Amino acid sequence: MRYLFSLVVLTLFLSCPAFAHPEFLQYFKKESGRAINCAMCHVNPEGPEGEKPGQIGSLDATGKKMLELARKAKPGDNVVNPILNPFGNEILNTIGHDKLVELEKDPGKISTLLSKTSDLDHDGIPDYQELLDGTDPLNPYDGLPWKLFFINFTRNWFQIMLLSLATISGIYGLYFTILWFSARTKDEFK
Amino acid sequence: MSEPKKGLKRLIGFMNERLPMQKFNFENIVLKKEVPMHRMSWAYYLGGLTLFFFLIQVVTGVFLLFYYQPTVSDAHASIEYITKYVNNGSTIRNLHTWASSCMIFCLVIHALTTFAMKAFAPPRELIWLGGALMLVLGFAFGFTGYLLPWHQIAVNATKVALQSLEESGHYLPGAISGVPHYIKEIIQGGPDVGQATLSRFFALHVVILPLLCFGVLGIHLLSVQLHGMSQGVDDLPKKSEKFFPFFILKDLIVWGVAFLGLFILAICVPFESFYAFPFFQAYNALGATPEGIKPEWYFYFAYYPLEIFPFWFVMLGMTIMGALLFLTPWVFKKTSRRVLTILALIMTAYLIAMTFFGQAIYEIVKGVKS
Repeated sequence: MRYLFSLVVLTLFLSCPAFAHPEFLQYFKKESGRAINCAMCHVNPEGPEGEKPGQIGSLDATGKKMLELARKAKPGDNVVNPILNPFGNEILNTIGHDKLVELEKDPGKISTLLSKTSDLDHDGIPDYQELLDGTDPLNPYDGLPWKLFFINFTRNWFQIMLLSLATISGIYGLYFTILWFSARTKDEFK
Repeated sequence: MSEPKKGLKRLIGFMNERLPMQKFNFENIVLKKEVPMHRMSWAYYLGGLTLFFFLIQVVTGVFLLFYYQPTVSDAHASIEYITKYVNNGSTIRNLHTWASSCMIFCLVIHALTTFAMKAFAPPRELIWLGGALMLVLGFAFGFTGYLLPWHQIAVNATKVALQSLEESGHYLPGAISGVPHYIKEIIQGGPDVGQATLSRFFALHVVILPLLCFGVLGIHLLSVQLHGMSQGVDDLPKKSEKFFPFFILKDLIVWGVAFLGLFILAICVPFESFYAFPFFQAYNALGATPEGIKPEWYFYFAYYPLEIFPFWFVMLGMTIMGALLFLTPWVFKKTSRRVLTILALIMTAYLIAMTFFGQAIYEIVKGVKS
């Protein structure tokens, strides 16, 4: 009887609707105008359902336990959901599981609840902003081009200044070397 | 027996006129060479600028070769490794990608200005043909290089392009209708885009195309040096400047500014940031194809018409344009510079429209919203 009960519970657990939130995906895709996929928050770009790495079907006993704990996450917790990437886990730990489910009706609000300073990929664009822009919050090379331009220009201004000086010096040196060579050849061919 | 001899003599005469090697001396190339000065003089810098971006690609490409793995299992990971872990790897990769776009941009503008200036007029046919071949090689570099990172957009865009090639066979007459399929199989190397395709594209991108490019570029540059700069305008230019040292010095400044601009772009704006991030995830043969797969921007002139108009119509148009490109010195032999300039402006307008507004035009024509 105990085994039968365990089997029923396990079957129910595995057949539960996956912890997926397509509402968020559709909302931010529409808002940003960029094609995004589940990899924004999930480990697997195809989402949580399935048997592939990072999907629910691939989890071992420890992974399933972690998933169960994640489904009870409260704001400020520090749980790790094995099917979510660090950004997905940040959302979960910041606003909690129940609030997240509640926000399915108002997906846009999620960005207002996230930290305004958190920047997991250190590209200079906060994670909540990357969510709004439809860019990858875990990839420092992904962001809106003009935002990355200003941020990286400010960060690398010293290198850019040195490079400009090096280019000007190089051109100056070559300029006069060529002029000198030209004068010599003129003398030679007089 | 006299006819072939005459033919051979004519060919030798033709080649002697196009490649006058007697002019290949220090005095003629360095001391006496003059560059006309007129309102279109800026166009004389475009060839050198294209060469500069090509050289940047050769150097950065060699650096990338140290780490890149041309296998379907490791290609994407090796690109990630270069970007994330190799010292200045992301800058080198960005320089390579930005330089490729800049090279194709300069190449196209160079071709258009050369056309408008009638710089293909006899005896410069070989210079034009070399340039036209370089244009084709430039696009071939772009096409083969696009697949190498083995990410979603690379593989899917290559599949679409090869499929289009195969489809063109349906519009060819019986005996040759199978040729595009045959070419596709040779390029692809298997039933689908896979390891064989990647190996072929890699070999083409890093060995075959560069060798061809060096050969064609050599003849192109040699012809330019032997014939000097073309007059470019109808009235004889009143002023000219010495190629050496004055034009060379100005060219040097242009290269320096281009290098600085390219470097700033490479360290500040990752080229991939212009595209949606799912496109750059590792290719998954069993996964869903991301929406919005497109070729590189410099193929939009062919891509959007293919999306809008019937396939046969676009293929016919492209075939005519391709033929015209190589037959320009003979087809437009007697056309005035004024007409050529108008044709070049129409072509420029078409390229701008398709590159910048292709998506909008597609949505208006098809009545769809992305």
